[in-house]
Parts: sequence; structure tokens; C-alpha cells
Amino acid sequence: MKKQVKRILSAVALGGMLLTAAGCGSSNGSADGVVNLTFQIWDVGQKPGMQAMCDAYTEKNPNVKIQVQVAGWNEYWTKLEAAAIGNKLPDIFWMHTNEILKYADNGMLEDVSDLIETDKFSEISLQNAQGSDGKLYGVPKDKDVICLVYNADLFDQAGVAYPDDSWTWDDLISASQQIYDATGKYGYMAYADEQLGYWNFVYQNGGYILNEDKTKAGFDQPATQQAMEFYIGLQDYDWCPDQAYFGEQAPGTAFLSGQGAMYFEGTWNLLPMLQNNPELNGKLQVAALPAAPDPVSGDGRATISNGLCYAMSANNKNEEIVKDVLKFFGSEEAQRIQGESGAAIPAYEGLEETWASAFEGYDIDVSGVAAMFDYSVQSVNNASRPEWKSKVSDQLLKIYSDQVSLEQGLANMQSIIDEASAG
Amino acid sequence: MNSKKRNRSDMFWGYLMVAPTILGLLILNIYPFIETFIRSLSKTKAFGKYEFQGLMNYQEMFTSEEFWKATWNSIWFCVLTVPVGIFLALLLAVLLNAKIAGRGIFRTIYFLPMVVAPAAVAMVWKWMFNAEFGIINSIFGTEIRWLTDPKIVLITCAVVSIWSSVGYDAILLLSGIQNISPYYYEAASLDGAGKVKQFFCITVPMVSPTLFVVIIMRLMASLRVYDLIYMMVDQANPALTDAQSLMYLFYRESFIAGNKGYGSAIVIWTVFLIAIVTALQFIGQKKWVNYEV
Repeated sequence: MKKQVKRILSAVALGGMLLTAAGCGSSNGSADGVVNLTFQIWDVGQKPGMQAMCDAYTEKNPNVKIQVQVAGWNEYWTKLEAAAIGNKLPDIFWMHTNEILKYADNGMLEDVSDLIETDKFSEISLQNAQGSDGKLYGVPKDKDVICLVYNADLFDQAGVAYPDDSWTWDDLISASQQIYDATGKYGYMAYADEQLGYWNFVYQNGGYILNEDKTKAGFDQPATQQAMEFYIGLQDYDWCPDQAYFGEQAPGTAFLSGQGAMYFEGTWNLLPMLQNNPELNGKLQVAALPAAPDPVSGDGRATISNGLCYAMSANNKNEEIVKDVLKFFGSEEAQRIQGESGAAIPAYEGLEETWASAFEGYDIDVSGVAAMFDYSVQSVNNASRPEWKSKVSDQLLKIYSDQVSLEQGLANMQSIIDEASAG
Repeated sequence: MNSKKRNRSDMFWGYLMVAPTILGLLILNIYPFIETFIRSLSKTKAFGKYEFQGLMNYQEMFTSEEFWKATWNSIWFCVLTVPVGIFLALLLAVLLNAKIAGRGIFRTIYFLPMVVAPAAVAMVWKWMFNAEFGIINSIFGTEIRWLTDPKIVLITCAVVSIWSSVGYDAILLLSGIQNISPYYYEAASLDGAGKVKQFFCITVPMVSPTLFVVIIMRLMASLRVYDLIYMMVDQANPALTDAQSLMYLFYRESFIAGNKGYGSAIVIWTVFLIAIVTALQFIGQKKWVNYEV
């Protein structure tokens, strides 16, 4: 009998062992009074900059140690959502405008409104960190704009003047044509992208993607339609590859292999491009986006500006400490460290030149970037964006490949966004 | 009385022995399946919350053009891969069974694709099929858009799928072929049957039980294809909707659009589809699978 019991027990124990999944508890707090915090980011290129900031904090507060963890962009959101469901969010994490409303509106994020000096941040930076209720759910980290990147070598070969602030869409077309005629390489590479593509053109032309209160799309507006027609129509020129081409290689790849002379790039990618491709030094240059020649409204200038923020979860047992860290991250000192590392343009006003200084070793002039913030437009977003984003991009691809007409495609986009936004 | 008691005690030990597996199945397979089914009847809200709403997801699914396109793509992918793939695997198995020099090396070579990570396979083939710079277009001097032409893209994926699975299937079939007694072939050749006749009249019927298993496995795998197409066909590819399989659609709905309820409905539909196809095969096998040796 005794033997039997023993056997049963061992069997049960074995079964239990097999079934126990490895737990993944967070490890904050330890015996010697040191608090260990986790800090989750998605860009490995910015890890040194983030680490430098954390080290600066630890120097002042030796009892707080912050560990920077990186997960790639794609798995980042899957991971973060799973962590949110399991109530195991990292202590501090990057938040993106695409997702912040979803997290903030569902009560996942802590209100951090009183941690920063709001007058040191631009209206757009603050908006990018707000929930639908207008409170701040993140400390603004950085800001970016979209700029025109061009290959100076190809311009020289074709004898075309470099792009400047006076450029309009017409100049973009004529320069592209001249480069194509002279060198056989592509000119401006227009492709199916929102933030790096048609959004800019729509806002330049006085149109909009979402209306003021973010409840309706603007694809039924003549200004929007006109800009979409122009942008999508660019692929019919010989100097622009069609969308099938971009289905196989990104415009950035085509640019660095010298296949095309111009494309739109976010400021966050400029330094990594130069660091990873030293042969581009001197060739890669930036300019402001060309303006709409005769916009329906406005002065024809616009560029999409986005920004990240640092967020913390709504229930953290080290709440006070984490808040203090976030307060530091939003301070001039930490934002300066971030800028000088070249990671991104600090959200803190007046520190743009710290980011520009990271380019000193390269033959590139980025001093014009700061001026673009003056006419920048906040990146398009509402709470149902995750729901409509991929559906709208499917429609765009269908327009590109002639599976639906432009009118029909835009009408579909309109109803997709309107229906999703209605809840 | 005594035997009954003993019987019960045996049963107890029997259940105890299979308990870990059964528990594992219940927790890791059965429970998620039920959960998926419930989700398919629910509206998904953020962060794992959901709300029962009946058949709404199914209604939306069955009226969606995209969904039927994906179903058709999955079926078309099976049609493209299974018959050709199985035939090549069988042919290969027979050839690998022949007494040729370096047989072991050939067997290893054909099996190799199975050992390579599917993502790596797709990446390399993607480069080879690249319309602008790919080796395939440059060798044949063609300008075919292998990955972006809506009519061709699934055929391209099918070629890669066949390439990566044919070796594995061949090894399975080879084990079946090796069980065939050589006397059959001896007798057949004495009666004047040629190699081709022997293949169809001896090899195919005798290997049919293994062949049946291989076909079922390959069909299921093809209906569930995801990773290969995901790797080969970028989200920015204009031929995306013409290559999107059911599982790809499921991924995009559940994890990109965040609509897990709708995604669950797609999964349930796929299970249903696989069940029908498998049931049909079990009925059909009576006509051609030979279990007498």
C-alpha cells in the first residue's frame, strides 16, 4: 500500500513537472535595497543612447538599476500586448502613436501629465503622447519629420540643380525626367506608403486623412483626391518604378544601390543609413519636401511629424521610482544625452542641434531639418487605426495594380475608416 | 468479483499512466480549440477581453470577398503542390532505391531542404526569383515577375514548397518501398514486365498505405500554408491578395488588425475544410489503398 502511494505521488509529481510552464516573472526589488527596472525598446540602433540615459540616472540614484531590453518592431507589439493582458508590462517602455490610444483608452498606462514641463515640448509632441481624454500617457521622447533624400552623384551626372526649399511637385517631376534621360536611373521613387508617401502629399495639397475630431476620413475631399491621383499617377512615368518593383525591394534598398535618385525618408533613418553604408557618405543629402504647386488651401507645405514617448503601466509596485525615472527622461539633461547619441531628435524644444551634431563626421547638411517642424502635421491617428491600417493599405495596393479604379478605391478607403472609427 | 476488482485496478493504472499525455492534450489542444471556437462567436475588444455576439463573425466572413479569395488561394495552392509534389517524391523514392553509386549521398542531399529553416529557404528563393536582379530571370533571359504578377505568384510559391518537401516525402515513401519483397519484381520481370509496368503494377499498389499517409499529411500542410507565403510575399506586394492563404489572412486579421474573433472564425473554417478533405480521402482510400501484403 505504501509503495502504491509513493508511486502515485511520483506520477503526479512528474505530471505536474511536465505541465508547469516556465514562468516569466518580472524581477524588481531585491534584498539589498537595489531596485531593478526593465526598459523595453524596439530599435537596437538606439540602445546605446538609451543605455547612456539610464546610466546617467543610476549615477545619481545608485539604488536604481535599469536594464534596456530590445525586441524587434514586429514582435514588440505582440509581446507588449501579451504582457499587458498578463499584467506583466515592463516598468518603462516606448510607446508609438499607432498604439498609444489603444493602451491609454483601455487604462493600461499611467497618467504622467505632471511629470514634465509642458511648455518645453511642441504641441505635436504633446498630442502624440495624449490619450483620447487629453491627458498625457507618455513622456515625449523624440520627434521626427519626413524629408526628401537625394543622391547628389546622380544629380551631378545629369547636371540638375539640387532640390531646395523652392521646389514644388513640378520640379520633382522635371528633375526626375532629366535624371532618367541622362543616366537611365530612376528619379523620384513613389511607392505605396502612408507616412513616407501619400499622407505628405495630401496635407500639402490642403486635404486631410482624418478630420479634426478624428471621426471621419477625408478621402471624399477634392483636395485629398487630387493629391492621391497625383501621387499614384507618378508610377506611370518611366522614371518611377511601379509598385511591383517595390514589392520586391524597398525604395531605400534601391536608393543605396544607386538605382534611384530620390525618395522620402524619415529623419530617424538618416544616421543609421550613413553608419551602415559608409559608401553613401557625400552622396546622400537631404532637402525639404517639395510643396504643392497650387494647393486647394494652405501654402502647399507639409510634412508628417511623429514622435515616440516613454510610458509606464498603470499599476506598478515601484510607481514612485518609475515616475522619477520618467521625470528624468523628460528633462533637458536626459533629452540632451539622447540627442547627442544621434538616436533621434529630442522632443525637448531647442535641442535639435544636439542631434545634428551627431552627423559631424559625415559630409551631409542636416541643418535644414529643424525648420521643417514649423509646418509639420501630426501623424494620422485615431483609436481604431490598428483596425483600418492594413485594410486601407490593401485598397491602395489594389489601386496601384489596377484591380479597382482610383475613385472606387478611395471610396472604399473612406468607408473602411468611417466604419472602423464609428466603433 | 475478484476479477472485476482487479479489472478496475488495472484500468486505474492505465488511466494514471496516460494521464500526463491526456492532461497535456486537454490543456494544450482541446481547451484552446474550445476557446478558439468561443472566440469565433465573440467580438474582440482590446487586451484579451471579448463579448459574445453569435454568428456575426461568420456572417461577415462569408460575405467577404477577401475571405473567399483566400480560401480559393489555399485550395489552388494544394492543387498546385500536392499532385506534382507527391508524384516527384514517388519517382525520387524509386530512383533512390536503385542500386547506384553514392546512393547515401543523394538521399542526404534530397533530404537537406527539410533540415534548413523554412524562413531561410524562402529568403534565398525570393532573391533567386527577384524580377530585377534575380538569377532565374538572368539565366533564362526572361522578364517574368515571379513574385509580383498576380497570376504567377502562387505558382512560384508552389515550386518552392515542392522543392522543400519533396525530399522528406521521398524518404517516407522510400521506407515503404523497401518493405516490398523483391520476389514480386523478379516474378514480374520473368513474365516480361518492363520497369514502367513494374512501377505502376507493383510499386504503386504495394506502397499505397504509405502513399496515403503522405498525401494526407501533404494536403493538410498545404491547406495550412503560411510561413512560406509570408516570407516570399511582402506586405507591400501588389499581388498580396492573390497569394494570401487562409492562414496568412488569419495572421493579418488577428495580429495586425487585432481582430482575434474574426481570426478565430477563419481558423474554425480552415479546420472544417481540412476535416472535409480528410474525410473524403478516408472514403476514397477504400478504392485504391492496398493493405494486403
